[in-house]
Amino acid sequence: MGINTENKNLKRIGIPRAISYYNNYPFYFGFFKALGIDIVLSDKTTTKLINQGSQCVVSDTCLPIKVFVGHVINLLDKGCDTIFVPAIQSSAYKVNNCSKIRGLPEIIRNVINRPFRMIEPTLDKTENIGFKDFCKQIANEFDIYDESKIDSAIVEGWAVYNSFVKMTKSGLSFEEALNCSIEGHVITKNVEVVKPVSVVIMAHGYNLFDERISMRLIKKLEKMGVKVYTGLNVTREDCVNSIHALDEIQYWANELDLTGAAAYYMLHNKVDGIIALSAFGCGPDSLMVDEIQYHAQKRNMPMIHLTTDEHTGEAGFVTRIEAFVDMLVRRKRKMLENRNILQLNAGVQKNKVRDEKILTTSQR
Amino acid sequence: MIKESKRQLNRFSQMDDNIAAKDRVVAWPRMGRIDIPLKALLVTLGAKIVIPPANSNEVLELGVKNSIEGICLPYKLNLANYIMALENGANTLMMFQAPGSCRLGNYTKMAQKTLQKMGYEFDMVIFDMYQSKMKQTVQAFWHVTRCLNPIRYIRGFGLGFTKFFAIDAAEKHLLYYRPREIKRGSAEACYKKWLNKIDETNSLFKFCFLFGRMKKDFAKIQIDKTRKVPIVYLLGEFFVLLDPYTNQNIEKELGEMGVEVQRQIMFSDWLAHVLTPSFLNKKESHRERCVRYAEKYMKRAIGGECIETIGDTVYAAKHGIDGVIHMMPFSCMPEIVSQNILSKVSKEENIPVLSLVFDEQTGKAGYMTRIEAFIDLIKRKKFVNDKKNIIEREEMIKC
Repeated sequence: MGINTENKNLKRIGIPRAISYYNNYPFYFGFFKALGIDIVLSDKTTTKLINQGSQCVVSDTCLPIKVFVGHVINLLDKGCDTIFVPAIQSSAYKVNNCSKIRGLPEIIRNVINRPFRMIEPTLDKTENIGFKDFCKQIANEFDIYDESKIDSAIVEGWAVYNSFVKMTKSGLSFEEALNCSIEGHVITKNVEVVKPVSVVIMAHGYNLFDERISMRLIKKLEKMGVKVYTGLNVTREDCVNSIHALDEIQYWANELDLTGAAAYYMLHNKVDGIIALSAFGCGPDSLMVDEIQYHAQKRNMPMIHLTTDEHTGEAGFVTRIEAFVDMLVRRKRKMLENRNILQLNAGVQKNKVRDEKILTTSQR
Repeated sequence: MIKESKRQLNRFSQMDDNIAAKDRVVAWPRMGRIDIPLKALLVTLGAKIVIPPANSNEVLELGVKNSIEGICLPYKLNLANYIMALENGANTLMMFQAPGSCRLGNYTKMAQKTLQKMGYEFDMVIFDMYQSKMKQTVQAFWHVTRCLNPIRYIRGFGLGFTKFFAIDAAEKHLLYYRPREIKRGSAEACYKKWLNKIDETNSLFKFCFLFGRMKKDFAKIQIDKTRKVPIVYLLGEFFVLLDPYTNQNIEKELGEMGVEVQRQIMFSDWLAHVLTPSFLNKKESHRERCVRYAEKYMKRAIGGECIETIGDTVYAAKHGIDGVIHMMPFSCMPEIVSQNILSKVSKEENIPVLSLVFDEQTGKAGYMTRIEAFIDLIKRKKFVNDKKNIIEREEMIKC
């Protein structure tokens, strides 16, 4: 596509606020900053932006991809014509991503009819293209071939990413943790507020933390007095171990946010219910939700599956969440009442009941 | 770390030994005419088999009832095949797992779980093509039959492969003769006759003559050689392409409209490519050809048959094919990507493309209207350019 030599010297890169932004942006920020490349972010998702995106692709395409295309158009409108579209193919040997995410650069290249330059690094561990090659591919696009400079930039990127992960693990929300890690300081929460009812939301980062797609699900739940856990609050090892503990295998690369988190909280009995949030027509989600539903049913854990698409009506969404939370509260109350009766009847068991968690607290 | 990687490697090998070899009754899901060669192979190895009923509306209904909403159409049909086979007395189910990396890799796991939940007892044997090709296949068949005689294996595999090739040869003849036949239905009748003969023939020696006799028999069909026949390329998702029930028998409909159909990939081509060891593949395989042709539009393979679809469309445009019909089941992930790309390919390579999405809905009229309009468009495009034959062109459009 039309590449201006002027632009190449400018060293500016546009990162769409979609898909891998929600998982990897702290790393990208540190990495590009160390390489001396300015980052231009697209605006937050709006209905207009989604409409722009969905005009370009066929109607069967899922919502996150439409949103991604909308963000790319937004960046081009802003005058940034170097756009970062990573192709994250697999995260381990034969653990592949969803086809649409793997083919993201292919879609963008063929769908947008404007001249622009695309930075399209590939990460494919099945084909032995590791993370360092991924970073090298990015740097080489900007005429940076100095190995030591790339290495130090990678270290810089990990530093920002690690502080982000540390904050999210301690219970900070995505927005707060992102802002703090970019500003360069680390805040951890020592005290955790305990609430009567807690749920885990299993959803991809790009669905859950995008306020337009998820319709502010987390805020809505917190307003109702529900403690919300997400995939960000669990470490990678815990996710993998709990998937194995359920006798399942990791089939998708981005599975940990969903089945990993849900399995961890379900196995450790930390939550009262599971909320699954997925975009309409998402292939991997349909399988993962089914998998967790199977295990939740076995363990008698309530679960609700919410599907979002381009529609803007929030009423149906809110009604379902409210009904679910009401059900959880009633269930918990009944459970506590039964336990109190037990306690009165047999005073010997008192300590035992205490040991079991009545209210969900943070025990890490 | 080692434990984890080992787990990932062995993640699909779940063969149980709880059923004795002589008690095994084997069944497999249906796709097109895959039952004929597999039957020959397993019977030669000495196994008892059950063939589930052919795919139909009732089969689909059973599958839809027992599977989750979001999964794709091939799984629903496969699951129904399994259920029907288990009802008919099967206790061993076979399924392959090709390196496709779409939802196909999860089929066996899900089917296993669903069937266990429904209360069936069975053993699922999986050929895991993730790890090795021929070894896994032989291992799976050994596990099922416990046949120790190597001559039987050679004979069985030889017979199976030959039958695959024979069916494909018959299909190729059919696709050529159907649009050109004078008496409608004669090519179809001939094809059915030969399919039965292939099914009945169980000696490798007889197959030496069968191919030639089949060719001669097809040549007896009266055809109109002067008829101008536009050529349409069929491509898209593997299962939909090969299963006539799922694709509403589109090949027959097109043939009766007077259109020659060429299929993207025949089953035997694919099988030969998948099963032969990679060092024997000296000729450029279908996939490599596709990667070469698709280079302008796609730089990396993304799983499924996406790159094949794009590559074959470009190939079709460069080799004088008049139109492309792209088929996929509803919510197929790789094919949605290729559908996005195809609109640009169509514009730049100047080839008409029609995308058809198949799902549980079995109404045929909607598809037929679209296909008819598409064929009219192709005919007009093909014959308007011939300025000499204006009269002929008008006749063409009329019929």
